[in-house]
Amino acid sequence: MKQLIEFKNVSRRFLLPQGEVTVLEDISFQAMEGEFITIVGPSGAGKSTLLRMMNGLLQPSSGSILYEGRERRGINYETAMVFQNFGLLPWLTVAQNIELGLEARTKDPELRRDRVRHYVMKVGLEGYEEAYPRELSGGMKQRVGLARALAVEPSLLLMDEPFSSLDVLTSINLRNELLDIWSDRDNVVNTMIMVTHNIEEAIELSDRILILSNRPGRIAGELKIDLPRPRRKRDPHFVEYVDRVFSLLA
Amino acid sequence: MKPAALPEIGISQILGLVELLAGKGGREDIYKLAAELSMELGETLTVIRAAEMLGLVHTPGGDVVVEPFGNQVVDASITDRKDLIRDKLAEIPLFKMVKEYLSREEETEVSREEMLEKLAELLPNEDAESSFGTVVSWGRYAEMFGYNDDTQTFYLSP
Repeated sequence: MKQLIEFKNVSRRFLLPQGEVTVLEDISFQAMEGEFITIVGPSGAGKSTLLRMMNGLLQPSSGSILYEGRERRGINYETAMVFQNFGLLPWLTVAQNIELGLEARTKDPELRRDRVRHYVMKVGLEGYEEAYPRELSGGMKQRVGLARALAVEPSLLLMDEPFSSLDVLTSINLRNELLDIWSDRDNVVNTMIMVTHNIEEAIELSDRILILSNRPGRIAGELKIDLPRPRRKRDPHFVEYVDRVFSLLA
Repeated sequence: MKPAALPEIGISQILGLVELLAGKGGREDIYKLAAELSMELGETLTVIRAAEMLGLVHTPGGDVVVEPFGNQVVDASITDRKDLIRDKLAEIPLFKMVKEYLSREEETEVSREEMLEKLAELLPNEDAESSFGTVVSWGRYAEMFGYNDDTQTFYLSP
């Protein structure tokens, strides 16, 4: 497996009126191609800041971030992000929202439309192309968010609490569909990093969990989830993993 | 056959319910399910009724049990699920009637107002707006019906 992204002793500080605050301290980890990694930690542990450093929206205050072995500065166009609140533009249709992310990357409108059609199909949104976000349920909105991120064919998909705005049943459905998409070898992207505060969700989905401690966020532990999928919450091994994550968080 | 009222529930919730039950071996007490999901019993029952209408589950006694068709949907790919649901919708009286209504002339589209009137006629005791919402939402998922909110037209998918 090829190494995709590596954080080397990364810290991030912010200057606030009350002084300098260290949000993340001495973060080191690697993500390999094909891995599904989740990051869990309490609110304020810097989980979202960590994701925003992965896509280059924020730069580290110290340390370095390597992508495919080289250090990069600025936005990393090989990543795409799925947001908690979907991040859709209400005046654009489903198809237009998905196409939006492609405009900066592909000048050819025909190619863009083909891409949109392909990813609309992948996430099961055929039939919704001309709908506006206001007409959609949360689950369908997040499918649009996912299709928009997949359509740019990133090598790394970043997700910031993508299921936390959804009702419990819809989030079960979307988690299953996300796993289908992740395991579909036809897909360009098969490396995913997701932030969540839901420990069971992290165990259900990921190969590996990074556990962040609180203020400043440090990696308190790392846990490889060695369970076949689909994973069941009632499975005693699953429960054991829940306990282990909690003990690392505590 | 008289059409039954449609629960105002989205397809993702229905699929989530069936996936959850399938993961539990296909059967659960309804009250336990509501407690586990921290959902109100009434809301849980509405989702179950929607899943039952689509032939995905049945409810003997106080339990909810996944039907073979429900397992088939759970095991299907994202695209195949839509085909399975489309075939099932075609058997539901209300969807059948709406489809026939749209197919009666060469023009297979009607205005939103016309569709609301038709739904009020088919389901006189129900709120036509909410029935319209569910017909559009399930119909879009199954690619059976479409709706353009700019032109306010409801149509049979080609």
